[in-house]
Amino acid sequence: MFRHSVMRIRRLRSLMLVLGQLCVALSIAQPKFTISGYVKDSQSGETLIGANIYLENQPSTGTVTNTYGFYSLTLQEGSYRLVFSYLGYQSRLESVTLSQSTQVNVSLSSGLAMQEVVVTAKAEEEDDNVQSTSMGRVSLPVDQIKVLPALLGEVDVLKTIQLLPGVSSAGEGSAGFYVRGGGADQNLVLLDEAVVYNSGHFLGFFSVFNADAIKNTTLIKGGIPAVYGGRLSSVLDIQMKEGNNQQFQSEGGIGLISSRLTLEGPIVKDKSSFLISGRRTYGFDLAQPFINKTDFAGTNYFFYDVNAKVNYQFSQKDRVYLSGYFGRDVLNFEQRDRDFRFRLPYGNATATLRWNHLFNDKLFFNLSAIYNDYQFRAGFDQEEFKFSIYSGVRDFNMKLDFDYFPSNDHQIKTGIHGTHHKLTPNIISGSAGDVEFESTTTPKYANEFAVYIQDDWRISPRFRVNLGLRGTLFQQTGPYTSKHTGESFSGGEVVQTYSSLEPRLFMNTSLTEQSSIKAGVTATTQYLHLVSNSSSTLPADVWVPSTEVVKPQRGWQYAAGYFQNFRSNTYEASVEVYYKSLRDQIDYRESFVDNSVDQVEDEFVFGKGRAYGLELFVRKNKGALNGWLGYTLSRTERSFPDIENGRIYPATYDRTHDLSLVSNYNISPRITTGVVFIYATGRTYTSLERLYLIEGQLQTDYGPRNSQRLEPYHRMDVSVTLWPKKKEIRKFNSHWVFSLYNLYNRKNTFFLYTDYETDLTQGTASAKAYKVTIFPVLPSVTWNFKWR
Amino acid sequence: MKLNLLTLLPILLLLMLASCEQEYIPIKSGEGPKYVVEGYLEAGEAPFPTYVILTRTFDFFSEIGPDQFNSSFVRNAVVIVSDGEADVVLPEVCLSQLDPAIRKLVAAQFGLNSDTLSIDFCVYVDLLGLVQPEEGRTYTLRIEVDTDVITATTTIPPHVRIDSLRFLPPPGKPNDSLAQLKCFLADPPGVRNFYRYFGSTNGGPYEKSFSTVEEDLFFDGKSFDFQLFNPATTNGNADPDQFGLYFVGDTVTIKWCSIDEAHFDFWNTLEFSNANQGPFASYTRLQSNINGGLGIWGGYSISYYTRVVAY
Repeated sequence: MFRHSVMRIRRLRSLMLVLGQLCVALSIAQPKFTISGYVKDSQSGETLIGANIYLENQPSTGTVTNTYGFYSLTLQEGSYRLVFSYLGYQSRLESVTLSQSTQVNVSLSSGLAMQEVVVTAKAEEEDDNVQSTSMGRVSLPVDQIKVLPALLGEVDVLKTIQLLPGVSSAGEGSAGFYVRGGGADQNLVLLDEAVVYNSGHFLGFFSVFNADAIKNTTLIKGGIPAVYGGRLSSVLDIQMKEGNNQQFQSEGGIGLISSRLTLEGPIVKDKSSFLISGRRTYGFDLAQPFINKTDFAGTNYFFYDVNAKVNYQFSQKDRVYLSGYFGRDVLNFEQRDRDFRFRLPYGNATATLRWNHLFNDKLFFNLSAIYNDYQFRAGFDQEEFKFSIYSGVRDFNMKLDFDYFPSNDHQIKTGIHGTHHKLTPNIISGSAGDVEFESTTTPKYANEFAVYIQDDWRISPRFRVNLGLRGTLFQQTGPYTSKHTGESFSGGEVVQTYSSLEPRLFMNTSLTEQSSIKAGVTATTQYLHLVSNSSSTLPADVWVPSTEVVKPQRGWQYAAGYFQNFRSNTYEASVEVYYKSLRDQIDYRESFVDNSVDQVEDEFVFGKGRAYGLELFVRKNKGALNGWLGYTLSRTERSFPDIENGRIYPATYDRTHDLSLVSNYNISPRITTGVVFIYATGRTYTSLERLYLIEGQLQTDYGPRNSQRLEPYHRMDVSVTLWPKKKEIRKFNSHWVFSLYNLYNRKNTFFLYTDYETDLTQGTASAKAYKVTIFPVLPSVTWNFKWR
Repeated sequence: MKLNLLTLLPILLLLMLASCEQEYIPIKSGEGPKYVVEGYLEAGEAPFPTYVILTRTFDFFSEIGPDQFNSSFVRNAVVIVSDGEADVVLPEVCLSQLDPAIRKLVAAQFGLNSDTLSIDFCVYVDLLGLVQPEEGRTYTLRIEVDTDVITATTTIPPHVRIDSLRFLPPPGKPNDSLAQLKCFLADPPGVRNFYRYFGSTNGGPYEKSFSTVEEDLFFDGKSFDFQLFNPATTNGNADPDQFGLYFVGDTVTIKWCSIDEAHFDFWNTLEFSNANQGPFASYTRLQSNINGGLGIWGGYSISYYTRVVAY
């Protein structure tokens, strides 16, 4: 009896196994269909980038919207409850009965009243930071940047980025940034796909990005996917807003430094919209009545930006975007009593034309034509003597990109990019009466091509990889005459060719639903270079291409990290380590002086670098109190055979410790406070070692490069935002932002200078060094408004 | 003729922002002193005897007194100048060794007044005129101090004279007591030329402006007029309204020199280093032609132009 029972159970189990296998087989045979579409903001119609779409009862089955807000999810036939979510918005649940491929466009409404802004540097969405293969990737929605304290009230995405671990500031008040030990030129800064060659206004104190015109900012400091290339260290991908396609609205603000106005609205409701946004400074304009009474009449300085964008949806499958940016810094200096004039205009212009097309619900296509132009001009004249200098970069760029969603386990991106560069180094011209002078420098030309493929592959629910490969080809082309061989090349003729294969591999092993381990390796090549002889990059610094003299910079980055979320993603934490090795790094030779240079690359020396570090990151995403704490322990080194015989020295931007605390507290629906605290190891500098007399004047003999450090940098900023009463949130509403920069008046060193005096007769001399601080505690107030 | 593009911007910046400064005591890595050579040869009009001042560097002390100056001179060194054919050993002369009348003369040659001088100035100098510097020749310097050897080489290039000088009214606002100096130069084509100048007013010592050197990179072979600043009105104490200008009625002498590339590089880096201080400046190491020390061994070919300031 007992034996029979056991046998029956065994038969039953066998039968169940067979049935189970049959079910699996049937399920495999079951047809699959695709749900695809766009996720948008319900009020403005703006597409949402990085929104999550997943099955309610199976969150690991899902996808994320791409740069254009498009998603594609392939499931078996059946009924599903799909969750659409985006941080700061009310999640939406959609029931879908899938018996054929279908398009589901979803609009999400901002679930939080505008007073309850959540400040987070969100790593994609919710637990995506744990689940995705992306590493060192952080998105900063602009609304959240706007409530943080800002220098002189100027909201600046680049300064907020500096508060992330692994990112350091180029200097006091500077919008320039360094990522994981990479140089300032090693960041790929994109505005609607167009490269921005100089992202700073007013010597880099303010960035060129007007926060009112920006939708989203993503920084990739670690695993750079194969879709991006051309820079060694990071990608800063900034998307402009598309413009509200539901209703007309305007917003703007009046601040201490500048004022802003943005107009946006539908051209054809639900189909087409426009946005135009401008910003201009006016400090010196206000002073004109006083300046005009002096010998300096006509002297002025201002900068401005204009962003504009239109889009048109021709059909459910076709959409076209045209966007552009134009910005200039203008300095005019006049001294009439000396008949002296100085003009310094510089700035960027970009234009991007894009066509999105859906071949089918699994294949998304984008074609972009991009133009960008950075120009720097400076010149002075006095009587019959004139002198001017000009440099610039101009690109024409075509990009063809495909997003292919063959199944839920694969998301494939592939494409081909081609760019024609014209790089104008410093061309000097002048005249003294009828005699004209001109440097023999001529522009350099180059073509850059890239082809890439990457697959974000979910091998199992717990293991994902992102495999990518990018192949690049760079050609310096004529017209060009080699200084070394004397050979002449005509226009378009290839002078020098470089190529590179850049593998990208990132892996994610989920340990639990809330934790994962990630690792990755990134190879990158950089063909354009910006070498600065300053402690920071300046608008006059010149971009140069790889040539027969200058080799491409190459880098490898290895990174690994542990990611853990707590309390339903309220808290998230990560620990990342990285090691970066850099080849063919470029610097100016020692004793370089830029006033007697014809070919700037003849002044270069070449070496190598390495950077390694540990980054800790903890953030609170939800609740009245939110924000993050980031800490970086790192080392960044360079070595050049022609500088101090190859001695390894810390880079100017080496920071051993770098800590940032960013917090935001919603005290009440009407009051939000923000606090930022920064601590960083002091900047390196070259020691002032000895003094000696030449022609009776003291001179400095410097010690080893970057062998000393300034005292640590630290600072706290606070802000209070006063929102309108709820009942006032209608057609017109406004809010006030009060900021205090450097709350406790820390005297951080901006620069050092020396002052020497010698009296040989008396046999005395005094040699003093001074540190200069520029930003004491600085209050500011900004009034922002929105009308619709 | 140089455009220090970014000079104006930091000024503008500092005007706008409330800056403050504090004295800063730099940290030193503690390495020992170095030798400093300052030696010149002159060919052409009224050449000064060849001389070498040999000192040791000071530590970065905030105050330096006469004792430190006196002890900085390196005594009893063997200083040899060679033109490739003959070696001349320069004897060491310290002012304290000379009788007062000669001391006064020698001190004046170095722009010093021996009556009020608090230091014992020492120099290795060719008092007998055994070195006869000539244009187109190369001169080597060899200095032996105990077991240390310092060497350097310089070439005196062929001299390029100024074609003419004239004083004109100052640019901009009329002012009949001031004048600007215009020089007409015909730069020889096909060769790199390097120039340096000094100015003397009413027979006083030769002074230098903040920018004394120029090269013909952008005007090779051109003949043109250019403004030459008055060194006396370019220093920090001068009235900004008189910057670089001359005073009508003064007698001005311009000392115009041709120099070689290494000599130019030294002054070019020195002047850039002194002028290029500020928020974005990085350090500039002076490009010296001295092996085994700091400083300069420089050859000049010289012409002088004396004019009364008038237009």
